Amino acid sequence: MRALLNRFALLFLILSAFAIMLLGKAETVAVERVRSGVVDLVAPIMDGLSRPIATVSTGVDRIENFFSVYQENERLRKQNARLLEWQSAALALAAENSTFRKMLNFVPERGAAFSAARVIGDSGGVFVRSVLINAGAATGIERGDAVVSGEGLVGRVAEAGLQSARVLLITDLNSRIPVVSEKGRVRAILSGDNSAQPKLAFLPPNARLNLGDRIVTSGHGGVFPAGLPVGTISSVDDGVIRVSPFAEFDLLEYVRIITEFPGEVAGQIVPSTARPSRMK
Amino acid sequence: MINTALQRLDRSARLLAPFVVSVILVLLSALPVYVPGYGQIAVDVGLVTVFYWAIYRPDLFPAVAAFALGLWQDILVGSLIGLHALILLLANWAIVSQRTFFQGKAFGVIWWSFSLVALIAAIASWVIVCALNTTLISPVAALFQAALTIGAFPFMAWFLARVQHAVLRPIDFDV
Repeated sequence: MRALLNRFALLFLILSAFAIMLLGKAETVAVERVRSGVVDLVAPIMDGLSRPIATVSTGVDRIENFFSVYQENERLRKQNARLLEWQSAALALAAENSTFRKMLNFVPERGAAFSAARVIGDSGGVFVRSVLINAGAATGIERGDAVVSGEGLVGRVAEAGLQSARVLLITDLNSRIPVVSEKGRVRAILSGDNSAQPKLAFLPPNARLNLGDRIVTSGHGGVFPAGLPVGTISSVDDGVIRVSPFAEFDLLEYVRIITEFPGEVAGQIVPSTARPSRMK
Repeated sequence: MINTALQRLDRSARLLAPFVVSVILVLLSALPVYVPGYGQIAVDVGLVTVFYWAIYRPDLFPAVAAFALGLWQDILVGSLIGLHALILLLANWAIVSQRTFFQGKAFGVIWWSFSLVALIAAIASWVIVCALNTTLISPVAALFQAALTIGAFPFMAWFLARVQHAVLRPIDFDV
């Protein structure tokens, strides 16, 4: 009798696991609530525990940096010289721009609003590329918000709890981001496949793209602001064009979340498998 | 009176230790380590603990515990929810049902069996993820993770054995 009961319990648990998986895949609100609720509860613990690890990592970095100070200094000098040239160019353009704006009575756009957070959980899974951050709805973070680091686009908020949120990286299997090449203005969808370099999908025929072209967000759909740097084209292989992201996902410690930006389509819910359904 | 109540509390706390230790280990494994690429092939701590307790103390680590630990792992690492729950549940069931085989076996045999379980678990989860996403993804990361987990098994088993001796031995004697 007991063995029968045990077997029945096992069968029940197996079926529940399958049911939960399907519910999770369909992005059921209840599953998501439970998930972000649990993460909210443990986020303070993870926050505390991840700090010493980050400190050790920073210490190791410092020691490594110490040995390359000379080369680094040379490189920075050259970069500084180059940037000074750019600065004077930018100042001239800004002055010119403001004159034009005055002439046109241009109404300036509202600025974007940011919120900063610490990465407290790694993407510990084989099949997912995501990180956990220690800020959530309490600081205005919503599902679908763009997440950037100093280098470029990191991903978007997939689930937002009150004090924590999960960020789906642009390399994840389910990540689809409308992008555009900076030079040729070729539109495409950056589509992750769990590899380090996501690929460009839905390219127009005869698209002109070169290795090294910068890819930025296009802002189509009004979910992401336009012009966020994403990466550069790193390989063209058998018609598959891959982008090497600017963001260094392995070393993420702090990220910024764009909670508001000019031209945002308010209240839009972004499905995580945002496949462009209108493109045929 | 108070003494016996305390003793009873102490006893139940010790009996819960295998599950609680596993929960903490999974939490620790989800923290960022800033080693390039490690996050994707991090040691599957849940599988090691489920395997260990299923062999040495299945009475304290029932199928429900394996299921709950898997869900916990899914929530923390952000994997497809229910995936680890299923894998750990099946691993638990497979090992418990073969328990007589493992009794009194040398560590080498146990390690070898774990390698087999880790490999099957990696392939099974890869198949499930591919099926649910209806795309073929590279199985390399899953196999790497399995290899790393197999390599880490002796160290983790040693640690879990320490826990078992320190926490569970005292009550095994006074039963």
